[in-house]
Amino acid sequence: MSAVLHAHPKSGPTLGVTGPGKPRRALSEAGLRGRWWRFTAILAITAIVLIPIVVTVLLAFTPGPNSTATGLTFENITDVFSKTLAATWLQNSLITTLSTVAVSVAVAAPAGYVLSRGRSRAVSGYSLLLFVMQSLPIITSVVPLFILFAGMGLVDNLMGLTIIYVGSTMTVATWMMAAYFDSIPISLEEASWIDGCSVFGSFTKVVLRNSLPGVLSTAIFAFLLAWNDYLVAIVFLRSNEIFTLPMGVQSFFQQNNTDWSGVMALAVIMMLPPIIVFATLNKYFSVGGIGGSLAGR
Amino acid sequence: MALTTAQTGLSRARRGVAPGGPGKPVNRKSKLSAQTRKTFFWLLLPSVVLLILIHGYPLVYASIQATHDGSLLDTGEFVGLDNFATVLASEAFWKAARFTLIFTIVGVFGSWLLGLGLALLLRTKIPAGGTFKVLLLLPWVVPIVVSSTAWNWLVGTPDSLIPSICRNLGLGTPLFLADPTLAAITVMVFKVWVSFPFMMMMTSAALASVDTTVYEAASMDGATRFQQFSGITLPLIARSTYISWILMTIFCVNDFPTIYLLTGGGPVDATTSLVVLAYRTVFQDFQTGPGVAIAFLMTITLVVISVILYRQIRKSSVE
Repeated sequence: MSAVLHAHPKSGPTLGVTGPGKPRRALSEAGLRGRWWRFTAILAITAIVLIPIVVTVLLAFTPGPNSTATGLTFENITDVFSKTLAATWLQNSLITTLSTVAVSVAVAAPAGYVLSRGRSRAVSGYSLLLFVMQSLPIITSVVPLFILFAGMGLVDNLMGLTIIYVGSTMTVATWMMAAYFDSIPISLEEASWIDGCSVFGSFTKVVLRNSLPGVLSTAIFAFLLAWNDYLVAIVFLRSNEIFTLPMGVQSFFQQNNTDWSGVMALAVIMMLPPIIVFATLNKYFSVGGIGGSLAGR
Repeated sequence: MALTTAQTGLSRARRGVAPGGPGKPVNRKSKLSAQTRKTFFWLLLPSVVLLILIHGYPLVYASIQATHDGSLLDTGEFVGLDNFATVLASEAFWKAARFTLIFTIVGVFGSWLLGLGLALLLRTKIPAGGTFKVLLLLPWVVPIVVSSTAWNWLVGTPDSLIPSICRNLGLGTPLFLADPTLAAITVMVFKVWVSFPFMMMMTSAALASVDTTVYEAASMDGATRFQQFSGITLPLIARSTYISWILMTIFCVNDFPTIYLLTGGGPVDATTSLVVLAYRTVFQDFQTGPGVAIAFLMTITLVVISVILYRQIRKSSVE
């Protein structure tokens, strides 16, 4: 209790612990009131903010108009899997997203290492180039890439989609990795060099091995970006069986505008993986890290 | 000493120690050995190839398209800056530019204010603070396709939940997505809803690094809560705030799904941003030249803005 109250700037340091004197007690009550006032405010804001998400989940598990089920039901979810290509879409999304994450980290980690350890003009120039590129609207590259990929048979193709996702996640991913490597003392590498390790060897064996949090946070970033993308998917995907989930949800929504239970069931299927990823790996991910990587470079 | 000169050079360069000995300023052209350079080259190569393929090549090709009267199938004839002239003379472009500007300003500062407020509220310990922190991230984690569907259910038609509630309260039936002004406001509120968790996380991280003892000193000097906030907190998190504004500006200008999935750019183009306009010009009207020209104008603006801001950040990080 006292630790909690300590955090409040106005509350005295010994609240209620060593015999409360009168003025201190008054402060304590003010502190407590402030605390409950803040709690209520947060509770109200959170409740309002979560309405759209709660509504989605509720509708997904509420029996549809033609259903005989009562209470909450998994009927909509199973229906969606049997009546639509939801399973295929889910699989497509998983394949694309996981490949993006793997390749993106594999490309960004070595590049980030060079950005972190190299201090030449060329390296800082490349760093600036990455910053400029990541701020460009993807729509500019989408049209030329569409024409290029059409000639290579990569339109309406999950591989083509993955290549673009890797390209568009790579810039920020490289920065995030570089920022993480900056926090690893170079003395670790020096020790391995004395043991006869090459620069590359010490990067893989010493630096990467100590970079799990950095790799995970970069991976989460790439995951969210690839999983949620809509613009690239809408341009590059044409056929139903190649759709990723965002396209699947959207096309189902447009065709069955009134089948809200079906739409919301699909929506729940789509939002589950990012929520699971975030819930389990939350502690590794800090947006502050992204900002820090921009600031520190 | 088994340490090769390559590696010594690297660690010296890294530490800012020039080869001649400590104390001398490090040479910008660092003294990495040929071997280290070679390793660095191979480590960087995949990233450079991808950058050229996904960003460099399209940029060059886009500049060709923007100056040609072509389609998705062939390049067409060279028309110089005609496409840009067409675009700059069109009313649709300026309307979209104006909407993008307002959308960005509201998106950046709306989400920042909400994120800052929540970060300040969550800063001190409150019951279930950690749970709230995670729950409040949901709008940002949930895919836009999903949340836009939910928003559509809530406000999409006159019989949706929120218009019905308004009707029952005797407020009339607001057409959230059918009335031009109201649709623009709805899209911006949606954007703020999607983005504030990002701002909250950035601000929380910055606040966590502020040493709380400065507040004790300030309150002993009689500073009010507001004076502490504006005189201590804000300046201390200024750098992080600055960066979060930059990032959010880029996110807002480039945003496509938030707008397109909720309103499709309508009604009567009231919520058409530059990205949506470019997308529709190319893929729905099949006017590749003008569409790419729009994207190109955005690109130039963003390159200029981001180079200036990048320098600003670097400058402030030196200070």
